[in-house]
Amino acid sequence: MTLEEAKRYLLRRAKELGLEAEVLFREERELSLRARGGTLEEIKEARQGGLGLRVVAEGRVGYAYTEELSPEALDWALEEARENALLSGKRGFLPPGKPLGSHDLLGEGLSAPLEAKKEAALALERALREDPRVRSVLFGGYMEREVRLGLGSTEGAEGAYRTGIAALSGSFVMAQGDGRKQGWDLRPTKEFHALDPGRTALEFRERTARLLEARPLKTGRYRAYLEPRAMAQLLAVLAQALSGKNALEGKSRLLGRLGERIASPLVTLVDDPTLPQGLASRPFDAEGTPARPVAVVAEGIFQTFLHNAETAQALGQANTGHAYRNYASPMGVAPSNLYLKPLGNLSLEEGVLITEFMGLHAGANPVSLDFSLQALGLWVEEGEARHAVENFAVSGNLLDLLQAIEGLGKELAWEPMGPSAFGSPLVAVAELSFAGA
Amino acid sequence: MLPPEAVETVLRRALRGGADFAEVYAERSLRRRMKVRSGQLEEALSGLDLGVGIRLFFGTQVVYAYTNDLSRQGLEEALETLLRAKGALGQVDEKGQGGLDFRKARPQGLHAPKVPLSAKDKRYRLERLLEAEAGARIAPEIRQVEASLLEWEQEVLVANTEGTWAEEKRVRTRLHVLAVAQEGAEVQTGVSAPGKSVGLELFDLYPPKAIGEKAARQALTNLKARPAPAGTFPVVVGNGFGGVLFHEAVGHLLETTSVAKKASVLADKLGEVVANPAVTYIDDGTLPHAWGSSEWDDEGRPTERTVLIEKGILKSYMVDRLGHLLTGYPLTGSGRRQDYTFAPTSRMRNTFLAPGEAEVEDLFAGIDFGLYAKEMGGGQVKPGSGEYNFAVQEAYIIRNGRIEEPVRGAMLVGKGPETLMRVVAVAQDLENAPGMCGSLSGAVPVEVGQPHVLVSEIVVGGRA
Repeated sequence: MTLEEAKRYLLRRAKELGLEAEVLFREERELSLRARGGTLEEIKEARQGGLGLRVVAEGRVGYAYTEELSPEALDWALEEARENALLSGKRGFLPPGKPLGSHDLLGEGLSAPLEAKKEAALALERALREDPRVRSVLFGGYMEREVRLGLGSTEGAEGAYRTGIAALSGSFVMAQGDGRKQGWDLRPTKEFHALDPGRTALEFRERTARLLEARPLKTGRYRAYLEPRAMAQLLAVLAQALSGKNALEGKSRLLGRLGERIASPLVTLVDDPTLPQGLASRPFDAEGTPARPVAVVAEGIFQTFLHNAETAQALGQANTGHAYRNYASPMGVAPSNLYLKPLGNLSLEEGVLITEFMGLHAGANPVSLDFSLQALGLWVEEGEARHAVENFAVSGNLLDLLQAIEGLGKELAWEPMGPSAFGSPLVAVAELSFAGA
Repeated sequence: MLPPEAVETVLRRALRGGADFAEVYAERSLRRRMKVRSGQLEEALSGLDLGVGIRLFFGTQVVYAYTNDLSRQGLEEALETLLRAKGALGQVDEKGQGGLDFRKARPQGLHAPKVPLSAKDKRYRLERLLEAEAGARIAPEIRQVEASLLEWEQEVLVANTEGTWAEEKRVRTRLHVLAVAQEGAEVQTGVSAPGKSVGLELFDLYPPKAIGEKAARQALTNLKARPAPAGTFPVVVGNGFGGVLFHEAVGHLLETTSVAKKASVLADKLGEVVANPAVTYIDDGTLPHAWGSSEWDDEGRPTERTVLIEKGILKSYMVDRLGHLLTGYPLTGSGRRQDYTFAPTSRMRNTFLAPGEAEVEDLFAGIDFGLYAKEMGGGQVKPGSGEYNFAVQEAYIIRNGRIEEPVRGAMLVGKGPETLMRVVAVAQDLENAPGMCGSLSGAVPVEVGQPHVLVSEIVVGGRA
């Protein structure tokens, strides 16, 4: 059976059994080409698909998924979902659905001969090696992913869309004197032809080279500048506190703070799934709510959580259309393109420029929003970055950090993470706590 | 899962296409997840993963394809796509002429569950999770409790052109309790999450009520803790999950994935002193029922016990097939992958620091001011520079040799090789704990472990 056929089969069987059901399927093609030492070292070509099932039985919700599309496997999934629902203590519902159409957000973005893609990977790897400080290249590569998503429910939801991404990526070690630094970078786009391996290699090298010959940083409190990548990493943590699902489950510190000032007046945070070239754009969410831009924080004031149908109803707010599930997970909430709106024209004066945080999964607590993170960065004096600093950690609470933002740059940069993309300009924070030598 | 004839056809076709080596990895996994909150089942998910990965070597060039279509036609299509990508379509090499003689290896059942997943119904599981939640309700400050059960039954087949045919069923279960404590605006969390390569006897090994209570106690401790101090101090790292320090600071640097490409600061150092003589570091994939154990690795090699560092001297790396091709180091049964969507790379299994001779109390005795990192969170490393970090989940100040008030939010950072030299004393109370390790070939279950150790200095990230 194809996924489309499996979807129809399941919806028909569910109706026969008197169940409400929703099927979300995802079909994915991936190509990955990795070069090292002037030859293609790894070629990966893959197809994967599966479907997720949400069932309502006696007013309660259960989930199942399968990658096997035989009638036996589909029947098994339906029965497991029904059993899971009947055991559940929580009331739930499927949102009313409507025809959502078929959308193409990728177009000809990945249309290019295989040879051109191989050459892009080779060119990137070659250009990475052009700097004598580059001691080893783990890989220079090209990857693309094409995804087709389909949704259908017994309540009338019906829609599909196609999207994808093309990216250059590289990992390498640079050394100078006693200092060694490892770079790992990704340059994603929606268009193969927008990739420029030579220029990207130069950017990748520069990002790491400037961190060489690092000195220890003295423990203390300093003004901090967060580069877009570092701020985007923190936005990904904040997104968990913005999740209506986490709020509903008592795992968000922002619960009860709607309409309050939670950040500096400079902070406007927008989630926009409709951005034309957005890395995480989509026409509708995982339960068929059409996409629209939402201001989550406006000039420092907290406007709304990100919601799906269930969390919106439970917390008495409007549904923002942020239902997310990958077929193998239960229904949750996730941002699409979430970004801090650029404002002003920040320039460096004095403090520590943080280029990247490490170990976020362990060092930042998404419930308390406390963080203590290893970081990489540069010492800034008299308006310029003087030298790299290393072996230090930055700590605080994310809500305090948002309040202490005192300047923003004007150029937005994006980091894709999971199903979402996070964007930020350069950010200045009045003071953060640094632990080092 | 797959008929030998279909596998043989694909492998021989790969050789005819010019490959020097070909491998088929097929997988069928049954997964279930149940989450309890506020005295009832909040969410339950059941799932079936099914897929096959085909890997070919042309010299040291690796090509990999995967698909969910396990039919003969699906396998052949995946292979043709690969040969096309490689540019080897239409090629006819004489290597594919002879027949393949699979040596079928039967698993011994070293990690087979005592209480299989099918032995109990879902209500039994739900009752155990409710016990865990109830166990965490020890104080009014405990506002939220989530208790989850993860179960995973993975059937794996690995076959290759050298005649390997290894099949295994791996069963793993894990209980996870998160407790959230709140007082005024202050919110803190505690976690306890035991997991083993076992069936539902997990609940006998780790009584749910006690696990719930452990998570809650940690949340309450953190609630009354002050922010950790910032600076460079002596640190005593607790046993069990404390082993994550070595996992990040050393383990990842010994995988041939980085070593073969000279992208590890510990490359080319076999036989050299890389650690304090107090350090003996072992990676063992054979420990019965350990979270990271299996009978075969994901390349169909028997797993083994690998001594990595003995009394400070580097003895071995962790070597997968590609790593072996690139470096010549003997294979260690360390090829692992999350699932069929990843080609295997060299990975840790159950990695621990061997017991030393010190008494736990002695580690604290000489410290005027330092940190006791009792329970750890996760961490991260860049093998190329050796820079690592890991988060402390429960910590206390050490003052004049005594464990005093709790502190929270401590992050330990450093460079692996330096830290190895600064491990000055190792106690005898070795314990292991489970975790998920993310790297090039995805997230795989591993154990980390150690006795209490004293590190003479580490940068502690706290509030300045």
